[in-house]
Amino acid sequence: MTIDVLCKVVDNYGDIGVVHRLARALAESERGLKLRLIVDDLVAYSLLEPAVDTARTIQDMHGWKILSWACPDDGSRAAFRQEYATDPPRIVIECFACGRPDWFEAMLFDPADSAVKTMVNLEYLSAEPYAVEFHRMPSLTRSPLVRKHLFMPGFETGTGGLILDRAFMDSRSRYSDAASRKAERRRLVGRLDLATPAGAVEFAGRFWVLVFGYERDYGRIVGDVAEFGRGTPVQVLVASGKSGPCFMEAWDRAGKPFPATRLPFLPQTDWDEVLVASDFTIVRGEDSMSRAALSGRPFLWQAYPQEGKQQLVKVRALLDGMRRCFEPASFGPVETAFTAFNDRLEDGPEVRGDEGILPLLVPDTVMAAGFSSFSDVLLGNGNLAGNLMTFLREIV
Amino acid sequence: MVGKDVLVVQRMLGNKGGRGGMVTKLRVKNLLTGGTSDLGLDSGEKFEEVSMDMHKMKLSYIDGETFVFLDQESFEQYELSKEDLGDNAGYITPDDDFDVEITFYEGKPVGIVLPIAIDRTITYCEPGIKGDTSGKSTKPATLDSGYTVQVPLFCEIGTKIKFDTRDGSFIERVK
Repeated sequence: MTIDVLCKVVDNYGDIGVVHRLARALAESERGLKLRLIVDDLVAYSLLEPAVDTARTIQDMHGWKILSWACPDDGSRAAFRQEYATDPPRIVIECFACGRPDWFEAMLFDPADSAVKTMVNLEYLSAEPYAVEFHRMPSLTRSPLVRKHLFMPGFETGTGGLILDRAFMDSRSRYSDAASRKAERRRLVGRLDLATPAGAVEFAGRFWVLVFGYERDYGRIVGDVAEFGRGTPVQVLVASGKSGPCFMEAWDRAGKPFPATRLPFLPQTDWDEVLVASDFTIVRGEDSMSRAALSGRPFLWQAYPQEGKQQLVKVRALLDGMRRCFEPASFGPVETAFTAFNDRLEDGPEVRGDEGILPLLVPDTVMAAGFSSFSDVLLGNGNLAGNLMTFLREIV
Repeated sequence: MVGKDVLVVQRMLGNKGGRGGMVTKLRVKNLLTGGTSDLGLDSGEKFEEVSMDMHKMKLSYIDGETFVFLDQESFEQYELSKEDLGDNAGYITPDDDFDVEITFYEGKPVGIVLPIAIDRTITYCEPGIKGDTSGKSTKPATLDSGYTVQVPLFCEIGTKIKFDTRDGSFIERVK
């Protein structure tokens, strides 16, 4: 079976990150599956997967074909033609309703081709109820020969679930055991060159707080981490991106009350490992949030700001799903922190909130059990890649 | 148009917007087969639009499952079945005097376009909750046309409301 996966990078690395993770999980779930990834931004892709060669418009990677969205008018056009001459598109996963490049559209809707093509639009992850309603719903294209359906990732039974790729699940497993956790962290610190060899043991033994959010004044969060750090040695890991300078500025302003280390931009598998190695994570974007939720450890999610604070609808929907896994008393601080952190009209270095994260940092076995239970529920929904393959077999 | 099939959108059942675009849930009727189906359509998909004639009419009377409309210029009468009207059948009553657009395909009436906003009176709903004016919480309410829509909790029997005929959503209370 050959599947064409289409991806257009809208902003940042969220879309291509999901697509790369999906490709890995699909390849793992189906022996002999041939994947062709058609991507419009190879530079963005190469940051998540260094094996991508940005100079090549058609290339092999991990046994998959990677093709540039913009089929160039040079020698590689013949290579595109050759690739599809013997293996035309029959099953297509269009990610996030990204559309199709013209050269692909022409093949898909070629009037001389009477074969049926199956297309699935993989939508954005959301905890909102429409995910269940729209999951597996028939859609339309202009040709009855190109049959399209919607496929919704999600947190609930009745959705496609979350992507459970092997690398992430392996990392999750290695860091879930307290005994192996410290040794794994020491290896990670050395591999990512986060501390000197002499300092690696101490670095790895601290309470790790990972910060990956949008631009804002992180003064309140720095204050809470500093307060928590009075009793527990803390190590903050500051992800590359918009929140980095903002967090460091607040940390500097507070007198550098705990060690904080800026991380370089990490390939996806390294990022996943840092995320599951951390004791508490502040994450933005749906994919990192889903990884944080799957880690089973406490986390705080910052949703992409939308007009009229629509992000709060998404956050409340996620909280509604989480609530069922928590004791009511322990869920209150989680709900308060999530809501306060997302209650903003826009992002910027001056934007302040009242997000109190101290209750989420302080060890609380009841609250920890809630996060762990939520992770178990998500795992119980199965692997999106496997669910998607099952669905494809039903509709092809 | 999908291949040779002509589809008419009978109802917008809801939508959700993401950063990449909108997915809309629609009820469509296939004019060739007569079948209806619910579909999720993303905003990026392009279709050939079918040319339809539109004629302004008024509802003349309802005879069982048949709705009879009167062309205001030619004074000819045209019949549409309740099924042709889809959910719109539940929004109109024989007493209505507003203009509607009847769509024609190859000379036959196939559907109806109502005014976007119309007023109806609630004939039954659970008692209203005073003070809740947010409109975020809703309850079912039966209209004088017999149809049921979702309305805010503050609405009561006898309340006149304006609602959106495209998706049945409450717009405002008519004072």
